[in-house]
Amino acid sequence: MRRYVQTAGPIGEFSELSLRQRADPLDLLYVGYGLLVVAVVVISYTLGAFGWLPDDPQRMNVGLINAAPFTSGHLLGTDFLGRDLQARLILGIQAYFLPGLLAITISVVGGSILGILAGYRGGWFDTVISYFDNLIDSFPRLVLILLVIAAFKADIYYVMVVVGITGMPVIANLIAGKIAFLRQKSFIEAAHALGLPAHTVILKHILWLNCRALLVIQATLGMAEAILVETSLSYLGFGVQEPTPSWGNMVQAGANYFLQGNFWPSTAPALAILATILGFQLLGDGLNKLLEGKRRK
Amino acid sequence: MSRTILEVTDLRKHYSQRRGLVSRLTGQGRVIPAVDGVSFYLRENETVGLVGESGCGKTTIGRTVLRLTDPSSGRIVFDGRDITKLSRAELRPLRREMQMIFQDLDAGLNPRMRVRDILREALTVYERPSDALITSRIHWLLEQVSLKDSKLANFPSELSGGEKRRVGIARVLAVRPRLIVADEPTSALDISIQAQVVNLLRDLQRDLGLTYLFISHDLPVVELVSQKVAVMYLGRIVEMGLAENIAHQPRHPYTGILWSSLADKQSTEVSLYARGGAAAEREHRTWGVFDFEQPASGCRFAPRCPLYRDKGRPAVCTDPASEPQLRDVGHGHVVACHFA
Amino acid sequence: MDAPLLAIENLRTYFYSRAKRAFIRSVDGVSLGVARGETLGIVGESGSGKSVTALSAAGLVTAGPGVISGRIDLQSNGARRNLLDGLENYARVTEEDGRVMAVEKDERGWRKHSETLMAGVRGKEIAMIFQNPRSALNPYSTIGKQLVETIRLHTSLKGENEARERAIHWLDRVRIDSPRLRFDNFPFGMSGGMCQRAMIAMALSAEPSLLIADEPTTGLDATIQSRIVELLAQLKAETGITTLLISHDISVIQRLSDRIAVMYGGTVVETGRAAEVLAPGAKMRHPYTAALLASIPSAEMIRRKSYLQAIEGEVLDTIEVPRGCRFYGRCNRVTEAIRDNCSGHEPPLGEVAPGHKVRCWLYPTERNA
Repeated sequence: MRRYVQTAGPIGEFSELSLRQRADPLDLLYVGYGLLVVAVVVISYTLGAFGWLPDDPQRMNVGLINAAPFTSGHLLGTDFLGRDLQARLILGIQAYFLPGLLAITISVVGGSILGILAGYRGGWFDTVISYFDNLIDSFPRLVLILLVIAAFKADIYYVMVVVGITGMPVIANLIAGKIAFLRQKSFIEAAHALGLPAHTVILKHILWLNCRALLVIQATLGMAEAILVETSLSYLGFGVQEPTPSWGNMVQAGANYFLQGNFWPSTAPALAILATILGFQLLGDGLNKLLEGKRRK
Repeated sequence: MSRTILEVTDLRKHYSQRRGLVSRLTGQGRVIPAVDGVSFYLRENETVGLVGESGCGKTTIGRTVLRLTDPSSGRIVFDGRDITKLSRAELRPLRREMQMIFQDLDAGLNPRMRVRDILREALTVYERPSDALITSRIHWLLEQVSLKDSKLANFPSELSGGEKRRVGIARVLAVRPRLIVADEPTSALDISIQAQVVNLLRDLQRDLGLTYLFISHDLPVVELVSQKVAVMYLGRIVEMGLAENIAHQPRHPYTGILWSSLADKQSTEVSLYARGGAAAEREHRTWGVFDFEQPASGCRFAPRCPLYRDKGRPAVCTDPASEPQLRDVGHGHVVACHFA
Repeated sequence: MDAPLLAIENLRTYFYSRAKRAFIRSVDGVSLGVARGETLGIVGESGSGKSVTALSAAGLVTAGPGVISGRIDLQSNGARRNLLDGLENYARVTEEDGRVMAVEKDERGWRKHSETLMAGVRGKEIAMIFQNPRSALNPYSTIGKQLVETIRLHTSLKGENEARERAIHWLDRVRIDSPRLRFDNFPFGMSGGMCQRAMIAMALSAEPSLLIADEPTTGLDATIQSRIVELLAQLKAETGITTLLISHDISVIQRLSDRIAVMYGGTVVETGRAAEVLAPGAKMRHPYTAALLASIPSAEMIRRKSYLQAIEGEVLDTIEVPRGCRFYGRCNRVTEAIRDNCSGHEPPLGEVAPGHKVRCWLYPTERNA
C-alpha cells in the first residue's frame, strides 16, 4: 500500500506555501553524529599534538595494571603496563590523522585530475585512464600495501600514498561521469562558446559548482578507509610500533590479556575505532543523500 | 550594400569513426564527411537560413564556423580576418563577437547557478565592470528578452522551457555579439512558445543589428526570418538564394520536395497516391530506402531524385567524375543540379 | 447511432511530484468518444494530457497514483467492456471540495488487476504506434519474425507459412519496397521512416478494432513525415480502421482526423468535427484553439514578413491549476462582462452547435444560461 498525499493548500493558494523538500531525519542524525566524530577527532589531534594530555602516556604504574575505568585518576583505566588509556587513546589519533589527510589529498587531487583528463579531454586519455583503473581495481589493496612495505619500509606515509592512489579511480570515474552529463546538455560547449577560459570551466563550473559535494563525500569515506588500513596494519605489527600508541597496536597489546578476563584494555581502542569509522561512513552517506540525493549502495 | 561579416569557403569536416583498440592504433577507420565542401557568406544584419534533414551536416557547419570544432579543410573569414587556423587563445577575444544559441535549452545554464550569477558571469568574461554597471546591464538584458526581475533568484531547474530559452539568449547577448548562430532555437519548445521566441529573435536583430545564421528544419519559420536560405543535402549545399525564391521557385528537385512535403502534410485534397497513380506510389516507396552514410557516386541526391527517374536515369547523374557544382542561375540564386 | 467504439468518461489520471508533495493533474476529467471507423485527433502542447489520455486507454499508466477515476468503455465482440472495471477497489481516493487530497493505492494488486483487464485487449483489440519506432521494435529480431509472431498470436492464422505470407502482405500494404527482401531485415539497418512503416504494419497485422497513434510523425524528417501521414491517410481509406491520433502538429491532425479534440492543461477545451473546428474564420472557437492556429505562420504572413501571433505566457503547469478557466492567464479574449466567471469558475464544455463543444464563458449554452 502506497500513500500519495497533497500537502499544499486548496486551489490558488498553492504557490505561497513553502515547497522545500524536507530532509529525512535519519540523514540529519547521520550527519550530526559524523560531524561530532570529526570534531572530537580534530580536537583530540590538537591536544595530542601540543601534549595537552590528562596524563603522561608513557608513565608506567606497575602497581595499577589493566585497571577498570574510573580508577583513581584514570578516567578510562590503564593498560598492561599501567599506562593511562585515555591519554594513549588521544595520542593514538596522531598515528592516522596526518597520514589519513595525506591519503585523501592524494586521492581527491589525483582522482580529480584523472577524471578531468578522461572526461574533459577524452580521446586516448580516456582509454589510458580506464586501463589504469582496471589495473588498480584488479589488484587487492592489502597485497599492494604489503608489497610496498616489503620493497621500502614499514612507514605509515608510504602506506597512505598507496591508499591514496588506489582511491583515485573511484573519484576519477565519478567526475568523468559528471562531465559526461554536463557535456550531454551542451553545457561545456556553451561555456567555451561564450569565451570562458578552460581553467574557469574546469575549476569553477565543473569542480567547484558540480563536483564539490561529491569530493567532500569521497574524502569523508576515504578517511574512514585510511583509519581502517592504519589500524589493521598496526594490529598486524606493520604499522606504528610500541611504545608509540596507535589504536591498532593498543587493541593488539590488550588482546593478550583479553582471555585472562581483562576485556577493557583492548575493547576501549576497538570501540574508538568502531565509533570513528562509523562516524565518517555515516557522514559520507548522510551527505550523499542530502547533497546528491542518492544513497550509496 | 552592407559589409560581409562571415565568409566560408570550401569548408570540410570529416569525422573518422574508429572502433576498438586495433583500429585506434593502426589509424584506420571509416571517414564520414559531415560537411563536404560548403561555401557561403553572411552580410551584416542579415539572416541566412540553413535547412535540411537531420544528419545533413547543418549543425556541424554552425559549430565549425564558430571554431567549436576544427574544420578538416577550408577557410573561415570573420570580419575580414581568417580565423581558420587561430589558436584557442587567439580566438578568445573573437568569441565575444560570434555567439551560439544551442538547441538544448539547458546549454550554458549551470544547474547550480542562479539566473543572476549566470548573467553576471557572462557580463564579466571580457571586462570587469563595476557592480552598479553589472546590475544595470542585467536589467537591460532582462528587458531585452522580456523576463521578470523576480526570475533572477531562480535556479535553471525552476524555469519553464520558454524562460530557459530567454535566459540562454540573454546570456549570449551579454557579451554583445555581432553574429549569432542559432541552432534549432525553437525545436525544443512548445508551439505556443515558439512564436514568442521567433518574434524575440527578430526584435533583437532589429534593435541590436545582429546577424543570424539560422539553422532549423522548420521551413515556414526559416522562410519568415531569413533573407537568404541555403538548402543542404548530405553535407553539401544543393541550392541557395533569396528566401522567397527558394520557397516558391525552387530549382533543385530536393528543395521542391522539401517544401512540397509541407504542403502535402497540410493538404486536405485528394491524396498523392490517388493523384499520381503508379508513378507516385513508386516514388512513395523509394523514400524509405537510402543510406545517409554512403552517398551515391556522382550526384548524391540521384537515388531519391524524381527528375533522375523521369529523365530515364541519365548517366551524367551517377558519373563519379561529374558531381554537380553550384551554378548561378541569376539573382544570386545558385543550384547544384545538372538539369536546373 | 450506435454506441462509440471507445468511450472515455470523466477520466482522471494523476501523477505525483515528490519534490512538491502535490499531484500533477495530467488528465483531469476528460470525456471523449471515438465512433467506429472514424479518426479522432487529439491536439495539444506538452503537459496538455493528450498522450496520457491515450496511454490510460491502453492500460499503460502504472506509475504513481495513475488512473484514479473514470470509465473507459470499449466495444468488443458486440459487448461493452469497461477497461477500468474494479480498479477502484485497489485505490482509495480522498477528496475534499472536489479536489483529490490523498490516494492510497495497493500498487501490486492494482497492476495485476489491470493486466487481467487488458489481457486480450492491448495488442489485439487496441494496437499502438509510438513516436520512436526504432525503440519499440525488438533490435534482436528481424521485422519479419516480429510480424509473424504478432499475426500468429492475435489472428486466426496459426500456420507458419500463411502467417509469413500475411506478414509480407502487410509490409506491402505499408508501402515497403521489395517486402520479401525486407522481411529478413533487422530494425537497425532501416531508416526512421522505414521503422515507422514496419511498426504500423505490426500494429495493423493484429487486425485491431482501435489504433492508437501517439505522435506517429514526431522526430522524423519533414519529407519522411509527409510520407507517413500520406500512408496513414491511405490505410485509413483502405481499411477504415478506427483511430485515436495524438499529435502536437495541427497540420497532421487536420490532414487525418474526422473529429478533433483540443486539450489544454489536462482538459478538453474544444471538440467537434475537424472541418468545423479548424475551418478558417470559424466564429465559435475556443480562444486557445484560435491562438494556436494563429501562431502558425501563414503564407500571407511569411510574404509580408509580419510578426507571428504568439500566445503570451507559459504553458499551464498542471500542479498549480487555477480556480477558474485554465487558459485565463493567457487568454486575450476576456471581456469585463465575463471576467469574474473566467477567473473564478471553470467553464463547462458547452455545446455551441450540434456536435461542437467549447469550454469557454464567451459562448452562451443552455447549461450556463
